[in-house]
Amino acid sequence: MADDRTAAYAAALFEVAQGEQDLARVEDELFTVANRVRTNDALREALTDQSLPVDLRQGIVEDLMGGRASATTTNLVSMIVGAGRAKDLPAIIEGFLEKSAGSRSETLAEVTSAVPLDGDQQKRLADALSKRVGHKVSLKVTVDPAIKGGLIAQVGDTIIDGSVRNRLEQLKTQLQESR
Amino acid sequence: MLNLYLLAAEAAPAAEPVSSKNPIVPELNELIYSILAFVVLLVLFKKFGFQPVKKAMEARTERIRKDLDEAENAKSEAESILEEYRKQLADAKSESNRIIDEARQQAEKVKADITESANKEVADLKAKATEDIESARNAAIASLQSSVASMAIELAEKVVEKNLDRETNQRLIDSFIDKVGS
Repeated sequence: MADDRTAAYAAALFEVAQGEQDLARVEDELFTVANRVRTNDALREALTDQSLPVDLRQGIVEDLMGGRASATTTNLVSMIVGAGRAKDLPAIIEGFLEKSAGSRSETLAEVTSAVPLDGDQQKRLADALSKRVGHKVSLKVTVDPAIKGGLIAQVGDTIIDGSVRNRLEQLKTQLQESR
Repeated sequence: MLNLYLLAAEAAPAAEPVSSKNPIVPELNELIYSILAFVVLLVLFKKFGFQPVKKAMEARTERIRKDLDEAENAKSEAESILEEYRKQLADAKSESNRIIDEARQQAEKVKADITESANKEVADLKAKATEDIESARNAAIASLQSSVASMAIELAEKVVEKNLDRETNQRLIDSFIDKVGS
């Protein structure tokens, strides 16, 4: 649950981003940034290191994102890092995505896949999740080979884990519990 | 013998005429003086001698009675003390019997307690040993199962990684989508 300050940053991000022409692109880029910060320890430590000058930390953001992401996305991330809230970046972006999806009467659906999903798979998955939760979802896909195969979908508090890693874990648990 | 008497009578001077007075009976005056002296002595004795003698006799009688009473009291007291000693002796004997009985009962109880405690300790040790053995057995089985499970999973992971090609993964994804939407 995001605290008030995180929610305020998420709202600020949304206010800036919704003026953009391609909001979907900004959403995807910020979602990618959140995943990178969440999974890359070195990047997270560099961005949250208070001993480094703010300019240097913002320079890291611009070096990594400049030319690869839109100027809006780069500026938003740089603003949050400059405000010393880099450690809350994943939560702020998640709040932003929920707010953005909510503005379209959608619910954020975070999906993790071992391999990239094509357009057809994403559409079918979004439809299936929408049917499952009873309203339209906004799909954000993360590729994580660590799940070995299959998919993990999280919509709100509901997690549907169909990954091979999860099945192997269940199998391991069953083997350990069986006598 | 008769001759001797006759000789003696002839040799003796002519005796005075025999008096008619009785030699046994005193003269009258002598008798009167004797009676007067007796009366005087009697009066004097009664006045000065009888009371002290009487008092001395009474005192002696009283002392003897007192001694007899004291002797009686001493005897009673001695009998009382003897009775008390006998009673105390009986009480002491009874008390000693009671103490012996109590000590015997206590010894029996201590013996029973020690036996019960020892039995309980043995039972506890046995139960604990059984529990430890069971626990160690379960731990060994759990450890073995965990090791076997880990090995099985590692093998399964290797098999999955080797066989989980892109096509298989796509089938898994499609299956997931179908299941979520159904």
